[in-house]
Amino acid sequence: MKKLLSGNEAIVEGALVAGLGFFSAYPITPASDIMQGIVKKQEKVRFIQAEDEIAAVNMCVGASLAGAKVMTATSGPGFSLKQETIGLAFKLPTPLVIVNSQRVGPSTGMPTLGSQGDILQSKSGSHGDYVNIVLYPNSVEECFRYTIEALNAAEESLSPVILLSDGMLSHTYETVDLDSVKYSIKNRMRKPLGEEKRHFTGLLSKNDRPQTKDSQVYRDWYNERKKEVLDVANRYNFYEYMENKKADTLLIAFGYTSRVILPLKNKYSIFRPIRMFPVIKELKEIAKKYSKIIVVEMNDGQYRHELEAFLKRDIYSVTQLGGKISLKEIEDELSKIYSE
Amino acid sequence: MSFQRFIRNEVLPLGWCPGCGLHSLFFATCEVLDELGQNNTVVVSGIGCTARGAGFFNLDSVHGIHGRAIPLAVGVKAVNPELNVLVFSGEGDLTGIGGNHLLHAARRDDNVVVVCNNNEVFAMTGGQTSPTTRIGGKTLTAPSGNVMQPINIQGIITSNKRFFYARSSPVFKDHLKECLKQAFEYDGFAFIEIVFPCIENYSKKMDQSLACVMKDLKGKYKICNENRMLNDDEIGIFRSE
Repeated sequence: MKKLLSGNEAIVEGALVAGLGFFSAYPITPASDIMQGIVKKQEKVRFIQAEDEIAAVNMCVGASLAGAKVMTATSGPGFSLKQETIGLAFKLPTPLVIVNSQRVGPSTGMPTLGSQGDILQSKSGSHGDYVNIVLYPNSVEECFRYTIEALNAAEESLSPVILLSDGMLSHTYETVDLDSVKYSIKNRMRKPLGEEKRHFTGLLSKNDRPQTKDSQVYRDWYNERKKEVLDVANRYNFYEYMENKKADTLLIAFGYTSRVILPLKNKYSIFRPIRMFPVIKELKEIAKKYSKIIVVEMNDGQYRHELEAFLKRDIYSVTQLGGKISLKEIEDELSKIYSE
Repeated sequence: MSFQRFIRNEVLPLGWCPGCGLHSLFFATCEVLDELGQNNTVVVSGIGCTARGAGFFNLDSVHGIHGRAIPLAVGVKAVNPELNVLVFSGEGDLTGIGGNHLLHAARRDDNVVVVCNNNEVFAMTGGQTSPTTRIGGKTLTAPSGNVMQPINIQGIITSNKRFFYARSSPVFKDHLKECLKQAFEYDGFAFIEIVFPCIENYSKKMDQSLACVMKDLKGKYKICNENRMLNDDEIGIFRSE
């Protein structure tokens, strides 16, 4: 059946289909309507409006250990506050999905225009070394689909997964037929908290005894944990590649920006990562075909920076700052790159 | 000695300083768990000396991040109300960095038991002033003596419509066990403040040995058997019903 839904409403629908059991959040635009959507589904989802952003995500961690599939939703300022707990969820480990509907920062910025300024923070905002899966849909239907995939990936990797959105996508309304979306649901093998006598700790442990100073134990633990997450990430290898045989330039864009540049596909090839992190490996081969690679993003070149390190070559950047995105401006910037 | 089944053998010998009140606190808790037969207890803690206690128990336990033990425990309880959820942390964790969670869990009357070991300093980090350091207490960050009023935990908890606040100390073991028992059986947010100043990183700075601290505690506190606001020199239970 066709429905008119916003991106945020589709995230709620996706979470319900995936079997969400617990949701906690704190009000913040443009993510609050996810919470308001969950409130109407309390026969299926245990909901607590938390006293603050940090409480919301820590309630999710507790609920996750107690066996529920969990999710919280926020925007940039709240996402910053949740960072420490992302590391905790990676370490314990436990599944956790955080939706970040990005708005213009830093700080309060331009409330509440959409942005893509939290790309780097979604990958490594918590202290210490860790890896996590980051998904970024670009349509209402994809918000539904990739919420399910985010919850699945979290269950499979027993890890935090970030589902990115942006102020524009969160409040875009589209007619969608969710029944036509194909998906499978992953459930947890680990027993919930009960009488199992396990100790979940943020501390490094050796033989069940917190052991904080053995470097080899740390290295073994980290390598194994990293491999677990990367192995799962390989099964969530989502991207879109629109090849234009005549093009010598590859445009890279994601989220709402990838929709705005769609008319340029007649002139350029376009690559759209849906799994933002870990970076899609296939991009290495694809990139070889192009003399120029240009990342178009609503930030000061964050993903460009990542891809330069990943592809080990210079990459051009077209930035759309301050909450405004315009195809005309993007085209003008592209012509400047060509006239250089 | 069946209370020993609640102790995780892998953590022995224990890592706390000799003479620390935490030893007695945790052993007393095991005895109460045993007497009440509460096998389905989950222990949640934050960060600090007391918070290491989560790993002490031979139970499912979670050692989270600094200040966030209460919301984590609330999440556990929300999903599985059958579990007895027990929080152990220090006053720095619960009333300092995690103060907002304490305020709101007490207001919501979340059905968890919170045991707050009040040792008057941030002990694990060497002994800095904490929210409960007494006026005149010497710490690394107030070497000439603290001049700020300590936080009134009893006032915060008992300002709610429904409340359970107890104060006790490991030097009054029977009283401590009675407080734990009543807290475990209480339907709502139960808060127990355990008074025992840090020996190594606080009392010694004020030339007080373990023996002095214990003697002071024994001498200072009287057990209050009435259900009312406790005076500063009283231990007891003050609850709304």
